[in-house]
Amino acid sequence: MDLLDRYVHAVRFWLPRGQQDDITAELAEDLRSQIEEQEAKLGRKLTELEVASLLKGRGRPVFVAGRYRPQQYLIGPTLFPIYRFVLFIVALCYLLPWMLVWVSLEIFDPFYHSHVLTAMGQAWGSFWITTIVAVGIVTIVFAIIERIDYEKKFMENWDPRKLPPVRDPNRIPRFNSVFELAANGVFAVWWLNWMSSLTLLDRGGVRIVLAPAWHPYYWAMLAVALANIALAAVNLAHRYWTWRRGILRLILEIAGAIPICWLFKANILAQIVLPNLSAARATGLVNSINLNMARSFPYAVACCAIVIVLSNTFRLIRLRTKRTGIMQGAAV
Amino acid sequence: MAHSAQPASDGLFENLRLELRRGCLVLAVMAALRTEQYGYTLRKVLAEHGMAIDEGTLYPLLRRLESQGLLTSQWREEDKRNKRFYRLSPEGKLILKQLLEEWRGIDASLKDILP
Repeated sequence: MDLLDRYVHAVRFWLPRGQQDDITAELAEDLRSQIEEQEAKLGRKLTELEVASLLKGRGRPVFVAGRYRPQQYLIGPTLFPIYRFVLFIVALCYLLPWMLVWVSLEIFDPFYHSHVLTAMGQAWGSFWITTIVAVGIVTIVFAIIERIDYEKKFMENWDPRKLPPVRDPNRIPRFNSVFELAANGVFAVWWLNWMSSLTLLDRGGVRIVLAPAWHPYYWAMLAVALANIALAAVNLAHRYWTWRRGILRLILEIAGAIPICWLFKANILAQIVLPNLSAARATGLVNSINLNMARSFPYAVACCAIVIVLSNTFRLIRLRTKRTGIMQGAAV
Repeated sequence: MAHSAQPASDGLFENLRLELRRGCLVLAVMAALRTEQYGYTLRKVLAEHGMAIDEGTLYPLLRRLESQGLLTSQWREEDKRNKRFYRLSPEGKLILKQLLEEWRGIDASLKDILP
């Protein structure tokens, strides 16, 4: 019976404290009855191997003991789909941008070019720390909500009239088109009136002058703005995305982002004159501004551009696969 | 029988079968405990009547029913060994009666629905 005692003892370890004696006594009795019955059938004592086989059939001690406990979970079946959705949003809005920033640094920053392995090691380590912290915080919050008996309130306090409307992702809201028209129109007028000259400001002893490299950028941005106006006008008349207009939007997003990235790296500021600022200090200021713009702004723009391009690409895939997909907003 | 229809659906059938039997097991255990029995013999009685139940399911179920006041239990010596005997409590008898009525209602409804 040594094996049987060891098995019962192992089960006992995982049982609720107050019931250990009671449950193990009953379990041992049940096992003895089964062994005796088999021995009576065979007309001999069971071998150790046969007893081991019988015990194995009962299952692992932790599993057997677990069936005597009430079902326990950190996040229950009601909250779990919301928990999973929140994790998805965290991954999309926090971890993905984090990765994009790192990829941008890899592409643009000279330090990362020259120390690839060190940079990758640091990024890999901090990515996991960031992920564990983000997932951990969300999990702890949901575990707390689970334990403060929020579920009952959550199940009762809702109003069908507050559910989000059903929307078709391929439909272009009228407001979006009108807003794009107005925003690009205002931008184009401002651009034509204020940004056409290399001398941005020349008033009250303050003078800001751009480098000649500004001209191609100026025309590129104007062309993008005008094309966006035309696209918004078409979208206002035809309120569903088509494959062609989807591609055009993607091209315009890329066409807008590339000149901005290039501009920040092109030492675009040529001269700054301020009252009480010496020429040498003014030159230093110009160099410092150009350097800082070249270091940080292209990454930020590239990150935004990647997110926008991904969103546009997703729309194209949706159009290509003919997923008309009337989607319901995330309503809980 | 649908059980032998397609090997691919065996797992699905098995899950549905277990789900179907789960509710019936409570009824079967309560009905069998109108007569006092200890765990091992109860399991044998149920198996003889085609309601086999593994011990990992039976003993936690007995504890749950007892904690709900539907069963009473008593440790007693039999054949020189201590055994825990269970039987239906007065409240359990009442609930069993109601459950059997419910069961007969379900059975009648199913007979109406099924061809």
